[in-house]
Amino acid sequence: MQNESLSLFDAYDRGGFFDEMLTEDGPRPHYQKLYQNLSAMSHHEFRARTELADLTLMNQGITFTVYGDEEGTEKPFPVDLVPRIIPASEWAHLERGLGQRVRALNLFLHDVYHEAKILSDGPIPRELVVNAPNFRRNFIGANVPGDIYIHICGSDLIRDADGTYRVLEDNCRTPSGVSYMLENRLILTRVFPGLFRENSVRPIDDYPSVLLNNLRSFAPPGREEPNVVLLTPGVYNSAYFEHAFLAQQMGIELVEGRDLFVDDNMVFVKTTRGPQRVDVIYRRIDDDFLDPLVFRPESALGVPGIVNAYRSGNVVLANGIGTGVADDKAIYPFVPDMIRYYLGEEPILEQVPTYLGWRESDLQYMKDHAKELVFKATNESGGYGMLIGPQASPTEISDYLNQVMADPRNYIAQPLIALSRSPCFVEDRFEGRHIDLRPFILCGKDSVTIMPGGLTRVALRKGSYVVNSSQGGGSKDTWVLGESRNVMQQTMGSMTQRMEGGC
Amino acid sequence: MLSRHADCAFWIGRYIERAEATARMIDVHYHFGLESPLVGRALTWEAILAISGQKKKFNQRYQEINERNILHFFAFDQNNSNSILNCVRLARENGRAIRDQISSEMWESLNRYYLDYRRWNVDRVISESPFAFFQSVKNGSHLFQGITNRTLMMGETRDFHDAGRFLERADQTARILDVKYHDLLPRFTSEVSIPAPTDPAVVDPFSVGGTVDTHGWTAVLKSVGAFEAFRKTYRQGVTPARVAEFLILNPQFPASVRHSIGRVEGCVRRVSGNRDLSPSNPAERAVGRLYNDLNYLRADEIIASGLHEFLETVEKRCAEIGFAIGATYLKY
Repeated sequence: MQNESLSLFDAYDRGGFFDEMLTEDGPRPHYQKLYQNLSAMSHHEFRARTELADLTLMNQGITFTVYGDEEGTEKPFPVDLVPRIIPASEWAHLERGLGQRVRALNLFLHDVYHEAKILSDGPIPRELVVNAPNFRRNFIGANVPGDIYIHICGSDLIRDADGTYRVLEDNCRTPSGVSYMLENRLILTRVFPGLFRENSVRPIDDYPSVLLNNLRSFAPPGREEPNVVLLTPGVYNSAYFEHAFLAQQMGIELVEGRDLFVDDNMVFVKTTRGPQRVDVIYRRIDDDFLDPLVFRPESALGVPGIVNAYRSGNVVLANGIGTGVADDKAIYPFVPDMIRYYLGEEPILEQVPTYLGWRESDLQYMKDHAKELVFKATNESGGYGMLIGPQASPTEISDYLNQVMADPRNYIAQPLIALSRSPCFVEDRFEGRHIDLRPFILCGKDSVTIMPGGLTRVALRKGSYVVNSSQGGGSKDTWVLGESRNVMQQTMGSMTQRMEGGC
Repeated sequence: MLSRHADCAFWIGRYIERAEATARMIDVHYHFGLESPLVGRALTWEAILAISGQKKKFNQRYQEINERNILHFFAFDQNNSNSILNCVRLARENGRAIRDQISSEMWESLNRYYLDYRRWNVDRVISESPFAFFQSVKNGSHLFQGITNRTLMMGETRDFHDAGRFLERADQTARILDVKYHDLLPRFTSEVSIPAPTDPAVVDPFSVGGTVDTHGWTAVLKSVGAFEAFRKTYRQGVTPARVAEFLILNPQFPASVRHSIGRVEGCVRRVSGNRDLSPSNPAERAVGRLYNDLNYLRADEIIASGLHEFLETVEKRCAEIGFAIGATYLKY
């Protein structure tokens, strides 16, 4: 009985972190309405909605399989129903910063695969680029439509103890998560329809249309009705749900390597009516597995000859080949220099200070201050190959440092950033959990589109800083508020018929 | 459409139908028991194994033939590729592989079918209700098929799905009939044709036209959901010849071999767009030839030449149709 009268926010502890919703004096202005709504809710009510959301996910098969379980138990991807809100002005800043960044990254890729001026002129050490494992030497000199290499970019943003947004890394190869962004929104509109009426949340549901229009615009010249396909490694890939979801939303074929073949440097798909030419491939397979003739010969996922078809300009790959050199963690510290070099502008977004194992003086610092630093392998993702110094034991640190010393180029270190936190529903009340933000950036031939919001990832384990879904992370719906309540209308809900005809 | 997608659609159709047919096949045993205790004795669990042609596989892994083991083997055995569990699982896996091609309602239905099915096990079936269990399987298949009818675009995906579904149905109807024919008439060898219906006042309950016989054939009809339709068609009563005629040749009964094969032909003809009388590929030839035979055959001819031989040929020709569709369209 006593519980009934308690607010879900009672005993909420900000823990000394930057809290997205609450300050010492109560909720931030853009969270005001949400806070009032949630405060009026009992934990029974909130839990019922969480269960409804889980059931929806279960029935739609938005699940992951728990490995090591013979029965093949499936669990829904954890969605925390408390949305993360970004006010219009903050978003405008992020939008400008991200656009600037992806333009510079595309110019950098074009440069390093052609004249490589930036390496001759000095801002970036040549050695770091040409020795990067994802630098594709055999791709030098190849031209791509519109000089766009990164069509889809997912840059990870964090907020530090002051609430300053910083870019943590860029994902320029095959960034994933956009389907969860879209599904989270769908779920929230079902579970909390009222909240959308009260807040003017900018819609994100045109992501598939923008992506498809972009992909079509890159088709080889003379192809009137370009055939765009999505290439997936198959149903056993952990992001398969997303591949199928996007193909369905765009209305394009979801193909596997075995559906495609190359003839006369053109790519064809095997259909019930014989082979059909393919013009644009949104590929969700890494470079390494794309073409057994060029990359890993044992790969059964790819298509023999596809790289030559790409070099001949008969097919377009999105993202392009060799983009991994742009999101190499050892190149990351130089992105601000790229922005200055190519665009003649000052970087809009902050980064995280980074020590390079490759640099003698940094390496010494990394050894001396290991207990304070977060170490990362330069070409791992998904939270693998990391060491969080402040949370590691002395043996873990010395073991890790041995690996670092064996191959210093492959490691970087950064100070531990006190990631901002957001209230999450944990055991019948709200508790602060660390979050980040992955916005999705789409590059067309002459335009950059950034979906308002992105995927907010949550480290659901108490005290954890690791938000990756492979490491027990969840996600939240992310709301970017419109400038004015009257301008933006939520479009996710059903439209109603206008009965009166009079204009 | 992609050949691989067509292949998946075709097999979703087959697996969903097969799950239902397997449930019906076991369910018929319970029906027998309900119809008459005499009939219950006539049909043993061994006979169910014989139907499916899986006796050897069963004996490799189970010590004893009993209700629990049979249920486990046909409904829940992960190592039996045709168990209901595997049919539903594979239908779902195929659905996952083409989830961008089918409607999201279809995917959700396949997914729920599987998740709900996983809540059953042998203990629950036996302690709760075999009837409810079989009903849930039939409902799962029917719900999916209904959702498919309502939400999937008329087009190739649907035609391949339906081709798989109706080919499986023709095959399964032939099988159930074939096996029951053997169970119920153990004394007849295949050379002997079924005698004409005899006087209902016959004494030996196990003879043709006897109590067991009538109840047995009634159970066969019920197991394929045909009893009421049969009654409306033949008011004179249940005889083996009439049951065979109804299940093989009736043009209106949705699970008859003739109707099902006709649907398969419609599907492959729509895919090719061929309106000519002569077939344009091996798939059309195989299915058209069987459909024509079924259209022109009479029940007494089938019985005179041996029902079992005929059904065996039908099963073989269904397999050939499957191969021909595969070779023509589904290879990738």
